[in-house]
Amino acid sequence: MNNDVAAGTAALRADRLGRRYGKVWGLRDCTLEVPPGVIAGLVGPNGAGKTTLLEMIIGLLEPTEGEVSVFGVTSRDRTAARLAQVGYVAQDHPLYRDFSVADMFHFGRAMNPSWDQQLAQERIDALGIPLKRKIKALSGGQRAQVSLTMALAKRARLLVLDEPVSSLDPVARLEFMQELMASAVGTGLTVIISSHVVSELERLCDWLIVLNGGRVQVAGPTDDLLEAHRLLTVPRGTPDAELPGLPIHRSDSERHSTVVVRADPALLVAQQPPGWQADPVGFEPLVMAYLQRRPELAATDDTASTTTEVTR
Amino acid sequence: MIWVNWRQHRSQAIACLGVLAALAVYAIVVSTSMRTAFTNDGLPACLARGPATSCENGILSFTNRFGSEVNVAFWSVLLIFPGLLGVIIGAPLIARELEFGTWRLAWSQSVTRTRWLVVKLSLVSGGVIVFGAAITAVITWYRAPMDRLTGHFIPNAYDFEGLVLTAYILCAFGFAVLAGLLIRRSIPAMIAAFVPWLVIRLVIEFVFRSHFLAPLTFVQRCNSPQSCYGGSGLGFIPPITGHIGDWVLGMGGRSTLAALKGHLGNTWVYQPADRFWTFQSIEAGIFVALTAIALGATIWLLHRRAA
Amino acid sequence: MFRFRLDGSSGVPPYLQLVHQVRQSLLLGYLQEGDRLPTVKEVASDLAINPNTVVKAYRQLEHEGLAGGRPGQGTFITATSSPVLPEAQEALRASLEEWLRTAEDAGLDDDAVTALIAVARQDMRKERV
Repeated sequence: MNNDVAAGTAALRADRLGRRYGKVWGLRDCTLEVPPGVIAGLVGPNGAGKTTLLEMIIGLLEPTEGEVSVFGVTSRDRTAARLAQVGYVAQDHPLYRDFSVADMFHFGRAMNPSWDQQLAQERIDALGIPLKRKIKALSGGQRAQVSLTMALAKRARLLVLDEPVSSLDPVARLEFMQELMASAVGTGLTVIISSHVVSELERLCDWLIVLNGGRVQVAGPTDDLLEAHRLLTVPRGTPDAELPGLPIHRSDSERHSTVVVRADPALLVAQQPPGWQADPVGFEPLVMAYLQRRPELAATDDTASTTTEVTR
Repeated sequence: MIWVNWRQHRSQAIACLGVLAALAVYAIVVSTSMRTAFTNDGLPACLARGPATSCENGILSFTNRFGSEVNVAFWSVLLIFPGLLGVIIGAPLIARELEFGTWRLAWSQSVTRTRWLVVKLSLVSGGVIVFGAAITAVITWYRAPMDRLTGHFIPNAYDFEGLVLTAYILCAFGFAVLAGLLIRRSIPAMIAAFVPWLVIRLVIEFVFRSHFLAPLTFVQRCNSPQSCYGGSGLGFIPPITGHIGDWVLGMGGRSTLAALKGHLGNTWVYQPADRFWTFQSIEAGIFVALTAIALGATIWLLHRRAA
Repeated sequence: MFRFRLDGSSGVPPYLQLVHQVRQSLLLGYLQEGDRLPTVKEVASDLAINPNTVVKAYRQLEHEGLAGGRPGQGTFITATSSPVLPEAQEALRASLEEWLRTAEDAGLDDDAVTALIAVARQDMRKERV
């Protein structure tokens, strides 16, 4: 176990983080905390602000307002120190196409004092990718693996991946995730992986961040979030005020409504009139409920921040 | 980061070496015959004896044979060559990273983008300067026999010998790097940089160069109306001033009557040969200053874009 | 090595799926006392799932007394066999067959039977809570 957990240093802390592009806010009022050692999923539709948030975490973009810090190094500190903290796999896995794999590693070594050449070499050998081959001669899956290797060989404590498998075929996708999960075991590595495909995140993430319309809709440990939500089946006319908890998404049928509510489970048991039913909410339905909610609502309630108070 | 920059610009460097080698081969082949002819026409000995007026025959046969090689081949094509080279090297420097998305790779390593750019610009500019100096040296060597007759103040020689060739390339390079950052695409950036470079290049040569320093006046006295060179006295070897290397601009200067004091003749304005290096420094200085402004703006803009 | 599966579309949380698979294999005799379960790294890498999920599943198995970790060696099956003895299993299967015949005679098709079982299970759980 690394020292960060003992010292209570969050892997990632964002405080009212925001970024404006001209007149449009790509991300607004983002407050988050991600502890070290988790694999966090950042989910939201395209244009929700995922890439903006990730680029600010990495140091490729500066905030317009608020602050972000990685293991205590904030966005006001020296950029080189920030850059060294985070390994990054960008969408589409950019690499220099005329370089060979060996050249890419040489590049990594030249640009990163913390580069672990042995790790890079071992992983590439294990994957069966020849060092001398040019990047342009590799398959999409192999390029993704090289990108991942480069990010891991940087030996940063935080690894950020922006939709790393969206361009890969299913087999390459599985192989990439297998490598990623294997790397996360026992190393204390903190991972933030973004995706707009909700289903693939369920098996990967023990921490969840839902982003929509440039705002954080909900964030926290996956298990705790699932525990804190229920799918209520109630008579159609039941007003929101009578529901035990905060309604997230409501779907009305002829005679009944199903509502995803966020509440203390004990409360739910206590206050259940006849004709009502409370069921657990699955991962995907939970995310979908938050994505279908109007994004501005996130600013008016404290759904997003409350669960981060849960201690680990 | 030296290896990284070498590896990224390796093919450009090799292409430049190829150009240099091809030029050197051409130069050796033609210049050898030039030097042989120069000696055979008896020109060295003749010029050593005194002003070139007496060497007309030798000069005529030599220039007839080699005049076109040196003038046409060089001037029209090689006017744009430094500009083309500069933009071809400079435009993709940043634009390529933006075009292919590799900026996300390059600027998320442990080096800030500003430092990345400063190191890259320093190394590549250094390479450009070395290349420019090498090309200048080859061309100077190549033209040496002809220069002994024409001097190197004339545009055909001036543009390629001395400091300005390197400065021209650097300036086009600087414009192209800035254009690459602003336009984010290599080919459009090349065009967007080349056009202003060409305009400035032509304007400075044809409008300003002759006036970097106030020209001197030469009074030409004639013994008889027939012995006065009529029309333009340009392009003659030796020039009207009698001194090889002077750059005769044309007729003009202080009023004819006053200068001639009643005698027959013309007044000419010219720049003396010994001003060559001063002029080179001034012109190179202008282009280097433009380079510095363009590259400085690029660095500042890139630094600011992260913020 | 014992290989787990994961059904992404089943709606059942991944860690529970792992626990179920161990229970089921014990029932069917494919896992026996002393068998070593794959390491967390092996499972996480094989299935491409979060290592913590595997940890959670193994902890649940320990809690149920089905498996236990030996420091430095791995996780091993500790239960002799299923909580249900073979004779009890056979009796349950027989009564289930009878019930299914009754349901079929009453006009329930496969889907109706499945729905009925789900409702009954939910009611049972509610009673326990």
